[in-house]
Formats: sequence, structure tokens, C-alpha cells
Amino acid sequence: MADDTVAIDGLVAWLAGFRDRVTENRAYLTELDSAIGDADHGANMARGMAAVMDKLDGGTPATVDELFTSVGMTLVTTVGGASGPLYGTFFLRFGRAAGAVDELDAAALGGALRAGFEGVLARGKAEPGDKTMVDAMGPAIDAFDQGVGAGAAAAARAAATAAAEGRDATTALVARKGRASYLGERSAGHLDPGAMSTAYLFEALADALP
Amino acid sequence: MIGIVVVSHSPALAEAAVALAGEMVREGGPAVRVAAGAGDDVTGTDATRVADAIRAVAGPDGVLVLMDLGSAVLSAELALELAADLDVPVRLSAAPFVEGLVAAVVRAAGGASLDEVDEEARIALAPKIAALGEPGAPDAASAPGASVPAASAGAASAGAASAGADAAGEPASSAEITLLNPSGLHARPVAELVRRLSAFDARVTATNPRTGRGPVRADSTIALLTLGAQHGDTVRFDAAGPQAAEAIDAVRLLAANGFGEGTVPDDG
Repeated sequence: MADDTVAIDGLVAWLAGFRDRVTENRAYLTELDSAIGDADHGANMARGMAAVMDKLDGGTPATVDELFTSVGMTLVTTVGGASGPLYGTFFLRFGRAAGAVDELDAAALGGALRAGFEGVLARGKAEPGDKTMVDAMGPAIDAFDQGVGAGAAAAARAAATAAAEGRDATTALVARKGRASYLGERSAGHLDPGAMSTAYLFEALADALP
Repeated sequence: MIGIVVVSHSPALAEAAVALAGEMVREGGPAVRVAAGAGDDVTGTDATRVADAIRAVAGPDGVLVLMDLGSAVLSAELALELAADLDVPVRLSAAPFVEGLVAAVVRAAGGASLDEVDEEARIALAPKIAALGEPGAPDAASAPGASVPAASAGAASAGAASAGADAAGEPASSAEITLLNPSGLHARPVAELVRRLSAFDARVTATNPRTGRGPVRADSTIALLTLGAQHGDTVRFDAAGPQAAEAIDAVRLLAANGFGEGTVPDDG
């Protein structure tokens, strides 16, 4: 599986793909957020990921931990909303778990993704079924782990599929975290914007690992 | 003295809240630093700004962090990780933003510990709840730590003041004081009272017979505010401890001066 490792440029391609998706769908994410939140998720994520890629244009760090520490800190300082500390924590923990290496094999990538997910759980204290990004990320991480024997690209594709299914399942849920929880039962019937952006994250990962 | 960090989505909101709290403390208040907004004029919070603010006010007595809502809490929690190298206690307070900040600044100015300031901030809704007469309103006197036994009960029944020793042989002193300042035990007079009393080694309580509230701790602005004591009310102060008499003298002197705002006669 040596030819299935992901190098720094592959990880940067993942981030660029995520930036592209949140930018192209900025209005859609905001529309989802205006239904049950404070109508800033699209603008916040587009601004944050634009800042991330601007910084990387000035020079790409040599190791995975440096790369994702930079990504995480940039999101923390530019996003503003709850997705700043949540996605920020995801990437900071991802980088710390990956370590000072310049490529990741499938197992290492899976380990870093899970560390990032555990960071999101610790930071947001959301549980599965609370109608949050956790409902897309949890199934994605599990699917990646189950598919890891088939290589990073196949595992990432399985994760993207699982994230999309988890995202779609948030429509029926009643929000129990964040601004949407103020709506109670009225939050049901709307797709969760955080689960939507998380689905973009895993879609971008799958597309970056051909 | 502890330091205080104020985390908000809005710099304007945070600065105004800090200014409001600052009006309660004329001199020698705690170091207060705002961490508000993100990026360039983005309404939101930034964990690195919170961490920087914590570092700026960090001292051996610790730092209390007050937050508004939503991402302010997440950013403050992440800031604790970013500032984990600091060797001082840092506490995120569950207190209400405005009331908690005012209470915290006043209590911190009196030299209270991080635990005491946090507790004061957390019960800061009590005066509003008491004033509105909400059913099931928490009594600040029964809030954890907000009450101590009244000293030398009955010692002041015959006169305006008395001094002696309580049953345990500890010095005790009492006074019944009619409030002649215009606003009674309002926020600013109470802040001044708490600040003055912090200089004495004595436990002081206050009771307002007219409202039936108390005894409450006189080292807590929040507890004193729940007395609902107005101009013309006669409030009973009881002190116990080595400097009980000095503490009561200070209360009498402060009241005679109208708590810094002058006096108007009581029409009865």
C-alpha cells in the first residue's frame, strides 16, 4: 500500500477542495443556517477557508502537524462563530495526531481523522442525534476505519458516502445544541448546516485522493 | 487581586459592560481585559484573543473569564488549551454576562479569591429575581456560602448600636442604621460598603426587617442588593470577629456620609 500514502500536496488539495465547496455553496449554507441558526455559517466558513488557503499560498509547511496547526489557528482567528473553535479544534488535533511527518498512510490518516473528531466531541459536547456536525462526522470516521484495509482513497470515498447519509438524516432530528436548539421541535424538517459543511469536508477528501 | 477577562461577540457590547462595571469601583479595581470579535470586524469570538487576554491579566491569584453566548464559551474553552502553559488558575464562569461582570468587578476589587468572585458572579441574578418577586426565587441568603450566622442576636434591640462578645467569646458588634442616602442600598452604595468592609477582619451580615430579607453577607454586593433596602429603611448590621467593632463603626460612618452620595432627611 506504499503508493496509497497521502503527501503534503494531497492534503493541501483536500483543503483547497473544501475551500472551493464552502465558497461555491456559501449562499446555500447561509440559507440552511437562516432557517434554524443565525445565518452566518456560509459566510463564516468561506471567509475562514479563504484565509487558510491565502496563508498556504505564502508557503506550505513541510510537515503535517505544522500544516494543520496553521490551518486550525487560522480558522480560530477568522471564522468568529462556533464553527471556528469546532473546525479549528478538528484540524489542530488532526495535526497533533499526525505528527512531524510529510506523508500519511491510510491508517495514519484514519487515526488523525479520529483524533480530530474526538476533539470536536470534546469541544462541542454534542452527541450523535443532537442535529450537529457530529451526525455527519461520526459515521464518516467509522466508515473510514472500516474501509482502511482497501487503502486511503477507498476509505475516503466510503467516508464521504457515510457523511452524506448522516447529513441527510439530520433533517428529521430536533436540535439539542447551539442556536438551533432554541427552536426546539421547530428545528425538525431542516438540514443542519454544520452537517452539510462536514459532508463537504469528506467529499473534498475523497476527491483529493484519486 | 484576580484578573478578569470579558469574552463577547461584540467589542462594543464588551466595552460598554466593562464601563458599567467600572462605575461601581472608583479606585483600585481589578485588571479587566476584553476579548471580543474575530478577524476584521467580524461579529464573533476568537480563541487566540481570549488566550492573549488571559495572559495579559494573569497573576498568582488567578483569572475569571466571563462570556456572553454560543461560540464565546467554545472559544474560551479552546483558549484554556492555548494558554495551558500558564501556571495560574483560570476559571470560566457560568455567570450571567452583565450582572455577573458587575458583581465580579466589585468583589474582586475587595480582594476576594477566585472562588469567592466566581460564586458572587454566579448568583448575580438574585437581586433581579427578588425584585420581580418571581415564584421560587432563590434567596441569596440561602445561596451557598452567602450566609453566615448573625452575631450576637438581640444585642442591639435596645439601641442604635452595641458591642460585646458573642456566645463563643468572639468580639461582636451590631448597629441599626437608617438609610438617609437617596438610593438606599443601591448598586453603587453597596459596592462602596463592600469595598470598605473588605479591610476588616470581621464577618458582617445585614438584615432588612421591612422586606423581611436577611441576614445576608455584607461582603457580597449581590446578597446586599437582595435586601431591597430603600431610603428610610432601618437596616440591622451584625458583625463578629476580631475587628467587629471597627467594621460596624465603618458602616456607621459610611452611612452618615450617605455612602458618598449625600443624605436627605427621612420623612417617616
